[in-house]
Amino acid sequence: MTLLEVENVSIGYNTKKGYVKAVEGVSFSLEEGGSLGFVGESGCGKTTIGMALMGLLPPNGSVSEGRILFDGEDTLKMSDEEIRKIRWREMAMIFQAAMNALNPVQRVGNQIAEAILVHDPSIGKEEAMGQVEALFDLVGIPRDRLRDYPHQYSGGMKQRAIIAMALACHPKLIIADEPTTALDVIVQDQILGEIKDLQKEFNLSIIFISHDISIVADMCKDIGVMYAGQLVEFGPREEVFESPAHPYTKALLSSFPTVTGKKSDLIPIPGETPNLVIPPAGCRFCDRCSGPGPSCKTETPEWVETGPGHKTLCCRC
Amino acid sequence: MDKRDESVLEIRDVTKIYKTKGAFFGSSGKDVTALNLISFDIFKGEIFGLVGESGSGKTTVGRLIVGLENVSSGKIFLEGREIIGLRGRARKEFRREVQMIFQDPYQSLNPQRSIYDTVSEPLKIHGMGNASTRKDLARETLHAVGLSPPDDFLFRYPHRLSGGQRQRVAIARAMILNPEFVIADEPTSMLDASISAQIFNILLEMRSRLGVTQMFITHSLAAARYLCDRVAVIYRGNLVELGPAEEVIRNPKHPYTQALLDAVPKFGHDRDARRYGSLLTKARDAEEDVGCVFFPRCAAADEDRCGRKHPNLSPFGDGHLVACFRLEAMHEA
Repeated sequence: MTLLEVENVSIGYNTKKGYVKAVEGVSFSLEEGGSLGFVGESGCGKTTIGMALMGLLPPNGSVSEGRILFDGEDTLKMSDEEIRKIRWREMAMIFQAAMNALNPVQRVGNQIAEAILVHDPSIGKEEAMGQVEALFDLVGIPRDRLRDYPHQYSGGMKQRAIIAMALACHPKLIIADEPTTALDVIVQDQILGEIKDLQKEFNLSIIFISHDISIVADMCKDIGVMYAGQLVEFGPREEVFESPAHPYTKALLSSFPTVTGKKSDLIPIPGETPNLVIPPAGCRFCDRCSGPGPSCKTETPEWVETGPGHKTLCCRC
Repeated sequence: MDKRDESVLEIRDVTKIYKTKGAFFGSSGKDVTALNLISFDIFKGEIFGLVGESGSGKTTVGRLIVGLENVSSGKIFLEGREIIGLRGRARKEFRREVQMIFQDPYQSLNPQRSIYDTVSEPLKIHGMGNASTRKDLARETLHAVGLSPPDDFLFRYPHRLSGGQRQRVAIARAMILNPEFVIADEPTSMLDASISAQIFNILLEMRSRLGVTQMFITHSLAAARYLCDRVAVIYRGNLVELGPAEEVIRNPKHPYTQALLDAVPKFGHDRDARRYGSLLTKARDAEEDVGCVFFPRCAAADEDRCGRKHPNLSPFGDGHLVACFRLEAMHEA
């Protein structure tokens, strides 16, 4: 069953420099129990999509067009109160800066209990604490750390606490925005393993946002590659990584050093990402593309199907 | 392995201890050993990688070499000359020969200075050239790091540059003095993958064109593999493995290096690449400061030996050094 359907969504921010179209015409869908990863570089709009799904865009940001159907209901038409009800109970987010997402002057256990109590007032305090204990077991924090303050936790434990908080109300969908970026590789591996186990156990749907291709490849069945506010390639993991279609995906893969396989030269992508206040006409990757065609600069690229469930936004593919 | 006379930098038994202040009254704080008897050489013209997690002491090594901090004990030599305690003119000369590129280009550049001011300042400090030759050299250096045409950048301020461009400016500033030795401390950890690759290639070109010896400090084994000739792996202030980069990554000997490689996410055909399984899921209790640093988390450890004695870095063929008792035993057998 389809849990989430995003249709032609565009999102922009009013800034001093003008209206920035951070996301343009993005469509995708996510099945129940599915996992979808967005990969792209800073400023490509991947976090903005996550925030829009949660209804947490900052005051200067808004969805200018499109529909977001969660469980068949359009969340963009909901009032603040309605969206507040589904946020955290139906969909939860693991934020990027986990280090700063906990309240420093409240005990970690109490913070998570509070999240449970706010969303389900019928539960008593005792019962909530019991649930928190179970959550701690689930994410691998010893129970005797319940009454600690965040500063007594290591980075990995804080991240685990944030995951526990996201799971507190048994959501159907979890949006994880760079959940391991600030962590060391061994801790990252453990946390990613835990997220995978939890996903299987509760049949969670996951949207995973990262700049790190290897993490997204490890975590998600479907991959969306984003560039300058647009989705430029979408498909099953094996398809996207083994036969990448869009020149940006290819370039991204060849600019990424690995520890396995043959050591090959990294090919950096020349130039910089375009300014989204005045986005370039035609293909946005054109200026950095290794083999642009004559019409790429002027013609808006169309989606091309290159394999089963695998499509790309490129005139040359 | 008689390359000692080619060493640019020699580090001998360097220890760094930070004293914590402790409570207001009463007992003084606990000492923290950031580096424990570190020794290694960096050879002329090579890129040497120092790989470790946060808090491992890798940045401290760099800071000790450039003299931003003082060693607690041990010696550091640059081209055979001891550099600890240098004063006056000798110190200034040393400061010209050794340069550092910092991690965060958003903080390492002065926002109130133009790119020209930033890049040419080292020349002024060292009294090199006059205004016009300085400007020519600044242009040339900016061009060499890929900021071209240089005249577009000379009089801009850092806020108008992207992260990648800022890091290029930081590299230009380090390069303009034509140093012998450059330390790059995680120069790409703030940058996107495609921009990181640009910076890596600039560092490689610096070596091939100018023969600059470099130490590359990183948390990423993949980046070290791409860039470095040899790598050293550091864990909680101790060197645990050192050797040719490809050899250490293809054939890691120390259980900690193996654990690091296990943890790197892999994709494509290598998704199920072999796992060493050298990391204990739950750390075991161990007495502090005796025994191997990795003992509490090592799956292969031997309680008697590893928990009691500290293993030394010993040669294991072809310039590959490992600090592990298990290997010593295997070697002897």
